[in-house]
Amino acid sequence: MCGIVGYVGFRNAAPILIQGLRRLEYRGYDSFGIATLAGNVCVHKKTGKVSHISDSAEILQGTLGIGHTRWATHGIPSDINAHPHLDCNEKIAVVHNGIIENYASLKRDLIERGHIFRSDTDTEVIAHLLEEVYDDDLLVAVQKTLPFLAGSYAILVLSEGENRLIAARNQSPLVLGIGDGEIFAASDITPILEYTSRVIYLDDGDVADIRPEIYTVYMENKPVQKEINEITWTPDAVMKGGFAHYMLKEMFEQPDVIHHAVHAVIDSTLPRSLKEAKTITVVACGSSYHAGMIFRYLLEPACGIPVRLELGSEYKYTPVPFSDVIIGVSQSGETADTLAAVKKGICNNVRTVAITNVLNSSITRSAHDTILMHAGPEISVASSKSFIAQLGVLMQIVNLLAGGTCSEVLSHGRYAIEQILLTDITKAVDLCVSADHLFYVGRGVFYPVMMEGALKMKEISYIHAEAYAAGELKHGPFALLSPETPVIAICLPGTAYEVMLGNLKEMKARGTPIIALGIADDIELLEIADVVIPVPPAHQWIQVLTCTVLLQMIAYHTANALGREIDMPRNLAKSVTVE
Amino acid sequence: MSLKAVILAAGEGRRLRPLTQNRPKALIPVANKPIIEHNINSLVNAGIRDIIVVVGFRKEQVMRHLSQLSFPVMIVQQAEQLGTAHALLCAKGMIKDDVLVIPGDNYIDSGSLRDIITIKNSLLYTTHKQPSNFGVITIEGDIVTSITEKPIKASRMTVSCGIYHISSELVWRIADNSMSEVIDAEIRLGTKITAIKAHSWQDAIYPWDLLTMNERLLTDITAQKAGIISSSAVIQGPVSIGKGTEIKPGVVITGPVFIGEDCKIGAHAVIEPGTSIGSRVTVNSHTTINKSIIMNDAVIASHCSISGSVIGEGCTIGENSLIVHKDGFIILDNTPIRSSCGVIMGNGVISSPNILLENVIVGNNVCIQGKSDKRFSNSVIPDKTQVM
Repeated sequence: MCGIVGYVGFRNAAPILIQGLRRLEYRGYDSFGIATLAGNVCVHKKTGKVSHISDSAEILQGTLGIGHTRWATHGIPSDINAHPHLDCNEKIAVVHNGIIENYASLKRDLIERGHIFRSDTDTEVIAHLLEEVYDDDLLVAVQKTLPFLAGSYAILVLSEGENRLIAARNQSPLVLGIGDGEIFAASDITPILEYTSRVIYLDDGDVADIRPEIYTVYMENKPVQKEINEITWTPDAVMKGGFAHYMLKEMFEQPDVIHHAVHAVIDSTLPRSLKEAKTITVVACGSSYHAGMIFRYLLEPACGIPVRLELGSEYKYTPVPFSDVIIGVSQSGETADTLAAVKKGICNNVRTVAITNVLNSSITRSAHDTILMHAGPEISVASSKSFIAQLGVLMQIVNLLAGGTCSEVLSHGRYAIEQILLTDITKAVDLCVSADHLFYVGRGVFYPVMMEGALKMKEISYIHAEAYAAGELKHGPFALLSPETPVIAICLPGTAYEVMLGNLKEMKARGTPIIALGIADDIELLEIADVVIPVPPAHQWIQVLTCTVLLQMIAYHTANALGREIDMPRNLAKSVTVE
Repeated sequence: MSLKAVILAAGEGRRLRPLTQNRPKALIPVANKPIIEHNINSLVNAGIRDIIVVVGFRKEQVMRHLSQLSFPVMIVQQAEQLGTAHALLCAKGMIKDDVLVIPGDNYIDSGSLRDIITIKNSLLYTTHKQPSNFGVITIEGDIVTSITEKPIKASRMTVSCGIYHISSELVWRIADNSMSEVIDAEIRLGTKITAIKAHSWQDAIYPWDLLTMNERLLTDITAQKAGIISSSAVIQGPVSIGKGTEIKPGVVITGPVFIGEDCKIGAHAVIEPGTSIGSRVTVNSHTTINKSIIMNDAVIASHCSISGSVIGEGCTIGENSLIVHKDGFIILDNTPIRSSCGVIMGNGVISSPNILLENVIVGNNVCIQGKSDKRFSNSVIPDKTQVM
């Protein structure tokens, strides 16, 4: 998914375009670019998020322009591949959302006819095709070019010497905003609503000729009348799609996310360094560290490969890495400490693998190999779907290294998460809301699951939450237990079950309220725990996923009940780019 | 002035259980798209883009689905499901002008919508064989003279489709809990409500009605052949195959059939007309499926025969299962209901090999185990039952 925006009017176009691209960032943010018309075509494009680096773009002059924010799914995001794209003479600029399916053959023909291509994108063929037929009328040129294009597109085009934009749509969204002496175009209404509430939805096959005062929409080269819709919504409501917070929306995207993450790695694309590794080091920070820890609990028994786990920030204080391969895990791919650790590995001749959500982020440019987790853009500062995606990728790596024995198990992940999202957790939330301190306890692989659960609770509800390996409680933290400190515990049938039940009984004896994640009809557990949240019986890997989601839900609903700023918790940033 | 549409998608659809246990009726996939999405497409084709959706039961699922559409719709939440008119009232703050009210859980074609747009204060009606399940209307000329919601004994076959074009003044007078009552009260007040015959309207009262709706909506599909299709597979008629789907050698598919993405259709499987298969579904070799809806992530083992059935998400059907479409009676809420299906199966059912099902409802997460041949007919297996 990408986002495009265009402006024709009387104001300086660049700031409007940049602001519009920020609005469209939820559609993708790995690179962006704008082009304006100030005598000639001026272009500014960059890799990275538009909200981070845009000051230099806003100085572009001109009252007419187009912009684009990209989320690459294939082909790398780079300054060159960022839109807008120009023709050979740099007189025509194009932004495009969609896929031109026949671009390869078009490109071959154009190169034969002497056109020089600068990028690897499908979009650039549109600029060169326009150049061939352009005869001082951009509208005619676009109408002549479109029949050659197969695939989906929403495009915006401008050319030197003409004070107008041409927009065209086929199977990708495109909307016009009709202002007073100015007209906007965008992938959806979010960039437009700040300026006007009057919008026109273009249909497949529509071509619009847009000038400051007047617009005409053509269908099959004939002008057609378009209805103007009056929109009364806020941009925020559109972007969140009815959900109260991005975090909730992203949590509900997790069934699809796990599916895509698991399929992001197949045997043939698994880096050789991982296949041949005798020892592995995982370096990560925050939630990613917890994902790495779960990886260790799963990989070591399945394959007998020792896994060393390091915090990114502490890695620089340890001696030269002794593993065969270092896996750096970072959602944004920009986490400074993880990045430094990967670089340290490279300096010491260790193979490195990056697991990240953002193509061409810093970590992917440093590491030898990259595995993308395909979670899609994550807006909420507290990660939910990207954590699940990391688990999906890491579980799939374990599965592949173990010879594919768990492929079927992993295929159940999607449905299991879909089901667990329906769980009623009100009683658990009621207990958490009134607490100042919470303890999260688990054993084995469920210990890191609890660490992640406690982190979520801290991040968004501001309640002090600590995770302990259940056996460690008696070595100190037990002194803190009281009727005012609820304990959340995972107590599922398995090797740790009996001893876990014993631990819970001891806690109960101190009057501590207990919220247990366990099997629905576990009579013994029902007797001990104040609240039992049912976890469906399933393979342990699936239960790791479902418990993770349940803990996210408890944290989210607790924070919501407390009225917290869930998407932007105080003092926190989405990606930590300093040490 | 642009006409707004309000889609009412807050209801649960209790009579469609077990299918509506975990999702609202509007999200049941028919011809591989939730019912509500067919209606949104009809609205867009009729030229209406300003769409408000009232959500309630399992609202997160509805919102998630709607946020994946290519253009935004406005979401309004109904906290408690207090009837259709109350749902419309929830959106009242956003309605200034005339409004088109459409249920999200039964299908209407765009042609009928184009007709009703032109006449203010009107409703769409149709004739139905079981009128007492709907708002039964009487018409004189083309004016509605009365509307009675779900009468015990219906005097005629003309029923309201639940689709209304109402003026803003009328919206402001709404107070009752069902749209039929609101409209009936308006008629008594002297408002003229025009009756317009719907071209194509489909509702599912009971789960087996989905099969007819599925057959009807499949006739509108555009053929598409993405995925990896063996050259020895035989594909006839309108068939849509999604990307990433593998069709193995010797498979015979006769359209209209819709198959989603990333499915595996095993060697010599036969998919017959009127069948929709969701995404990530596995159908193993030599299995035959006829006139059925198979939802996402289901696994059908080899040598099965399935007809007239709805198989929920994530179900696993064992080898050599025989699911036969039969007419009969099923007891629902202590009342025998005429039914006609193979099986209506909720989500996450696991059934062992060699079972025979005819005219059966199987609840969510039921587990049918055991080695001996099992036979179930004209019955309901409740949610989460373990059959040993």
